[in-house]
Amino acid sequence: MKSIAFNPKALAKLVVVTGVAFSGGVFADNFSDEDVQRWQAEYESVLKEGEKIFHGGLKNANTVSCDQCHPNGTNIHPETYPKFQQQLGKVAPMWEMINWCIINPLESDALPADDPRMTALQVYITHERRGVELIPGKH
Amino acid sequence: MSEINRRNFLKKGGALFAAGALPVSMIDVAMGGTGEDDFTFAYISDSHITHIKGNKFVNNWDHGLKRAVAETNLMDPKPDFVFYGGDIAQLGKPEEIDHGLEILSGLHGKTHYVMGEHDYYVDLGDYWKKQLGPDYYSFDHKGVHFVVLNSILTHEAWMHKKWDSGMDRMLQMARLDNPEGSPFMVGDAQREWLSKDLEKISKETPVIVFSHSPLQKIYKGWNFWTDDAEEVQALLKPFNKVTVLYGHVHQIQYNQIGNISFHAVMATAWPWPYPSSYSQVESHMPKLTIPMNRADPFFERDATGWQFMNVHTGNVDIEYLLPNNQNRKVSFDEKSGHPIDETFQAVANQITPQKHY
Amino acid sequence: MLQRSCAVILLVGLTGSLQAAPLGLPPVPIPADNPQTPEKIELGDRLFHDARFSADGKVSCATCHDAEKGFTDNLPVSKGFNDLTGTRNAPTVWNSAYMTSMFWDGREPDLEGQSMQPPINPVEGGLENHDLILEVIKSDAQYTGAFNTVFNIAADKISMDHVAKAIASFERTQVSGDSPFDHYLYGQDAAAMTESQIRGHVVFVGQGRCVSCHTIEQTQAIFTDNRFHNIGVGFKRIQGKESETAAEFLVSKRAGADVDITVLTQANMSELGRFAVTENPTEVGAFKTPSLRNIDLTAPYMHDGSLETLADVVDFYNNGGRVKETDPFSGFISGGIRKLNLDDQQKADLVEFLKALTSPVAVVKNKQAALTTGTKEIK
Repeated sequence: MKSIAFNPKALAKLVVVTGVAFSGGVFADNFSDEDVQRWQAEYESVLKEGEKIFHGGLKNANTVSCDQCHPNGTNIHPETYPKFQQQLGKVAPMWEMINWCIINPLESDALPADDPRMTALQVYITHERRGVELIPGKH
Repeated sequence: MSEINRRNFLKKGGALFAAGALPVSMIDVAMGGTGEDDFTFAYISDSHITHIKGNKFVNNWDHGLKRAVAETNLMDPKPDFVFYGGDIAQLGKPEEIDHGLEILSGLHGKTHYVMGEHDYYVDLGDYWKKQLGPDYYSFDHKGVHFVVLNSILTHEAWMHKKWDSGMDRMLQMARLDNPEGSPFMVGDAQREWLSKDLEKISKETPVIVFSHSPLQKIYKGWNFWTDDAEEVQALLKPFNKVTVLYGHVHQIQYNQIGNISFHAVMATAWPWPYPSSYSQVESHMPKLTIPMNRADPFFERDATGWQFMNVHTGNVDIEYLLPNNQNRKVSFDEKSGHPIDETFQAVANQITPQKHY
Repeated sequence: MLQRSCAVILLVGLTGSLQAAPLGLPPVPIPADNPQTPEKIELGDRLFHDARFSADGKVSCATCHDAEKGFTDNLPVSKGFNDLTGTRNAPTVWNSAYMTSMFWDGREPDLEGQSMQPPINPVEGGLENHDLILEVIKSDAQYTGAFNTVFNIAADKISMDHVAKAIASFERTQVSGDSPFDHYLYGQDAAAMTESQIRGHVVFVGQGRCVSCHTIEQTQAIFTDNRFHNIGVGFKRIQGKESETAAEFLVSKRAGADVDITVLTQANMSELGRFAVTENPTEVGAFKTPSLRNIDLTAPYMHDGSLETLADVVDFYNNGGRVKETDPFSGFISGGIRKLNLDDQQKADLVEFLKALTSPVAVVKNKQAALTTGTKEIK
């Protein structure tokens, strides 16, 4: 039985063949600028989706959309979460309050926390508030 | 004379319930005996009635308008008339305009209407004008010259572009934060009409202008904006007392530019954030304004309401009737020559709910 | 003698430092000018139960605020002097210490102000003024002794202010937490409520939309926002006639009529609610949010006692602030009220949850409670 011996040439070929997928090497902590750019584009694809959902894309029956009260995601204040939320009677993260709005003014059904649409909404909302200092708990 | 009016207005209940308060002869005395130059009117705006399907409408906006009508009808003595500030409908559909007018028909007394963009863009104002008449006009009342403008027009090219449908064009204008929007304006034709209209009145005649957009440049991104604001203001400059009353912004704003006092009115439907809440861009809120309270979304009527205007000696004092908040009073202050909030203008008197961020 | 001092010691024992609160409640607010002492509380208790302070010698505070009936009288509207009825349902004394205004329309700012009104209302105590009260007190050696101990004043200096302070002190000790709900949410005892009550709690803070006015917070719950809302109860009485009713009321108020007397003797005026106090047209028909603690003991419900059972109350809210789904909406209805679309299971669970708000200390005082609450025994 041939044993799988350590073969430097084969290893080098392996690295070359998989060069694209593992550019920068086979070490987890070496990600490249191309990786970062690609991941940023992945993020922006969800941002685009979030903007659509925020502006009528939830397709809830009463037609009310998030942007009607929150143009450009204003008055949501992602930088203040988690915080005590009067309408929920407890301290809560932002996604729970987003669901409160979906249930109440939008008269629709709550989204699970890990629903892609909930993620997309949070991306859009947070993106429109980028650069603002974190003040968790602020009313 | 105006000082007595102000004290009367400031009393608990103020001018809202003068007749219920005093025997008729005492009213004459309180108003200084002339009564002629003083009158009141109610101002309701931005109901955004939204049709879902069949005879279903969005409850929240329906209730907001019904509430304003119910409270306005409590006024005693009755206001001289009611003004409706624009955006009866959300998407300009006949169902929405009809349903809104049906609710407004509950008002006791005459109502004058101002065009809003949500009424206009689906059919360029066709249905609205059929129901309500011209979208710009003027009239005189007790020595005051009233002017109504359609200030939500935009560039001809944009309005008459090849749209897939009128509703397509309406949806573009309906989205407040639309990066592909087009700025509001009064336009050449109306400015020319206004110029001729104002030739007929003396410089001492008080003028009150009704407009849906602010006739100022506050924040272009949300069309809190009138592109030819300076030109319109220039036409109004020669007159001693001018007040501009506008809707569209769904929040308390007030300002003084030279001889012109500007007042925004609340929506009956829902409040909007102040433009300064959008951290990514600059905006120009009038410094005078003490903001409305931040809204609690649980109470659908929070940060909504209607207005009661007291016109005395040509100046306008406004009481904001807010179902879920402390009422606000913004009156013209003779000494400083601009509007002030009767309770909250001084920094020391401001309260935490007025801090927006 | 011995019995009374035992009662005093027991009271102190129950209330600890006299300011600490039971599980689920915040510290009791005590005004600086009316500190609690055991003697003052005992004096207030006695005054509260003294029927001599009325025109026929039969009506005391306890007549309408009976500790054995959840500190109410379990009547739709209260019956006072000569069995005359008023227009409003007696609120409970339980946890009134946490209220920032008194009466359904908030016309008095505190407990001290509240207790002075009923004795001189024609359908409650029936007295013209407070003179008789002070006469009775000053001619009663036990009272004059107690007032002297508590306030360090001579008999001839006793005033209604002292009386009101003592009564308020007693009322401030009537706080009740420690309910099955409190043990479940704040005591981390998952077994403290039944399955139905647990589901009902979810409805209360979710689809039922109760929590925004009947507040529950992270570490305590007083179940009231201390605000005024028109939820549509009883409004039919003046529907379509709001303008005339308001105008008529204002004319009589300007002519000197007492708000307290007007609203309790005239059913249509009573419907004006908070408007009668503030004259704010946005507050027509608005009434104060009561706390829901011990609600199972204080039937019937609402400012006019028009809803008999908790199930009726839940139906009323579920219909969007209407008794029947076909009733019209009031034009003045609060923006917090809307149809809830709860199904039968959710409605039943919500009623069960409300029963979980009954405190052991209230049960002890309430003879009827044991029959109706089905509350889980807390040792």
